[in-house]
Amino acid sequence: MWLWYDWRAAAIADDHGSILDDEQWDGFHDQRTIVDRLECIAAGGLTPEAMLLLERFPEAKPRVHGEPDLPDADWPLPDEEAQAAADQAAIAMATMGVAQAAGDPDRRLEHLMRASDEMRSTFITMEARLVEWVGLFLPEARFGQDRSSLGKTVSQAESLEHLSKTLDVSLPPVGPDKPEWKALKEWGLGVSVFRGQLDRLENAIRHLSEQHLPSLSALLGPLLAARLCVEAHGRMRLARLPAGTVQVLGAEKAFFNHLKTGAPPPKHGHIFMHPWISRSPRWVRGKISRTVAAKASIAAKIDAFEGEPWGEEEMRALEQKVEDIREAYPSPPSRRG
Amino acid sequence: MGRYNNRRKTMLSWAVMKDGRALWTTNAVPRRAVYGESLRSFSGTEFRRWDPSRSKLGAAIMRTRRDPSWLLPEEGTDVLYLGAGHGTSISHLHDHLCGQHNDLKGRLVAVDLAPRCLRELTHMAKSRPGLVPVLGDARKHAAWGVLLPRKVDWLFQDVAQAGQVDIFIAACRRFLNRDGTGLLSLKAASERWTGDGEAALFDAVEHQLGISGFEVEERIELTGYEDNHVLFAVRKME
Repeated sequence: MWLWYDWRAAAIADDHGSILDDEQWDGFHDQRTIVDRLECIAAGGLTPEAMLLLERFPEAKPRVHGEPDLPDADWPLPDEEAQAAADQAAIAMATMGVAQAAGDPDRRLEHLMRASDEMRSTFITMEARLVEWVGLFLPEARFGQDRSSLGKTVSQAESLEHLSKTLDVSLPPVGPDKPEWKALKEWGLGVSVFRGQLDRLENAIRHLSEQHLPSLSALLGPLLAARLCVEAHGRMRLARLPAGTVQVLGAEKAFFNHLKTGAPPPKHGHIFMHPWISRSPRWVRGKISRTVAAKASIAAKIDAFEGEPWGEEEMRALEQKVEDIREAYPSPPSRRG
Repeated sequence: MGRYNNRRKTMLSWAVMKDGRALWTTNAVPRRAVYGESLRSFSGTEFRRWDPSRSKLGAAIMRTRRDPSWLLPEEGTDVLYLGAGHGTSISHLHDHLCGQHNDLKGRLVAVDLAPRCLRELTHMAKSRPGLVPVLGDARKHAAWGVLLPRKVDWLFQDVAQAGQVDIFIAACRRFLNRDGTGLLSLKAASERWTGDGEAALFDAVEHQLGISGFEVEERIELTGYEDNHVLFAVRKME
């Protein structure tokens, strides 16, 4: 004996497909209730009608509409009006689902990360142009390593003469004409605006990353944690990756080249950004990145399955381990080795 | 004007027109383009241009060696579309299946996993009655199967994920009528690399479909429109 049900009806049939009993619901003018019922079925639950019939026929095997082992029978299928109501409910569910996607931190983090990457590359180009541009008119100006205030200085200068005084250099006899100076000044304004925006973007990444990936952020810092998460296409997928993959995440080109041609495999991907690796001597970087990736992979699993987050203590323990590796290999291996 | 008038136009259905190397469908929402395609009137009826390089169904219609109209469902019926994407194919299919204000009473259940794609579809569903977008996994039939009270005669799948063939076979078993048409768009790169190249992979798929109770009516190579893609057109035999 079978208990067939869909979102608005349920029926009992014997093995030959004769209907013995059925229950139908006609409250389908209330969209909210249809959505609840569709969600209940999607989760594998029974509708009220199905439960009612199951009480009457406890030996019947419940099957949702369309399951292959059901016998052919004249099931009480929805009429046109009921189907239209279900369609509207399905559209409402899809709309809701789309809206819910905005709450997904993986997607939010991805936008933040990509935005910050794009902004950084634009910013670097614009800043380099500004340095060249100002350098053309003020050949004596030297900016050295610290260019952070150049944009602001240029945008606040009244004229090239004013700028030359601020930068404490002499003013050459020829210079930009008025509209040209204005363009240069606005370029400087753009650079300083971009710098501020970039800082705010990174703060937003840090903030979200510390909530979404507390353990990984504590271990590697929030920016690198966010980078790994985005590269892995989400926190859950990162948690399911083996540590070896986490280690070379971001070095796909070198990795596939290794598979294809047998070139040496990459030792590190994005994880290289961490000072434990990038500031270590060349010959221990591979060992350290292996250790760090293994721990990072555990931290990602803790975050994804929402366990007790790691903190300062675990970070210190790993730092000690990294230090031990550095001390164990103080000098490069012999080439003849 | 003249450029279009010289070519031979063939109607593949009441709504779909082939005009030389272009496809057009009568616009179910007049004066509105869905994805920036061009709109043009032919003898008083507005058509939307169907770009075959953006739609695997469109590409298959251009590439098939048989009468292309057999790739289309009968208008006014229920169909299932798995892997709806951004709705390019869906919109043209809707033109054909439902017509303006869904006068033909067609139903197009479109399933996709990605909220980004559904965003476009739910928007489209507002102006195109008969289109039922579903945010869900093509493999989880229980979640949306109740929206199809009867089996359909036409099923299209384009999911580009590993195991696409198994997904297709399972969906056809549950939702496709006997003798119904199933179209499977297969992306070689989505399957595990078998080492024997693409041709061997496609042969294996054809064999698998054959032993699962389908007759492969045609294997349509989409090269030129969509590289490394093949569309299998099958008929369900049992």
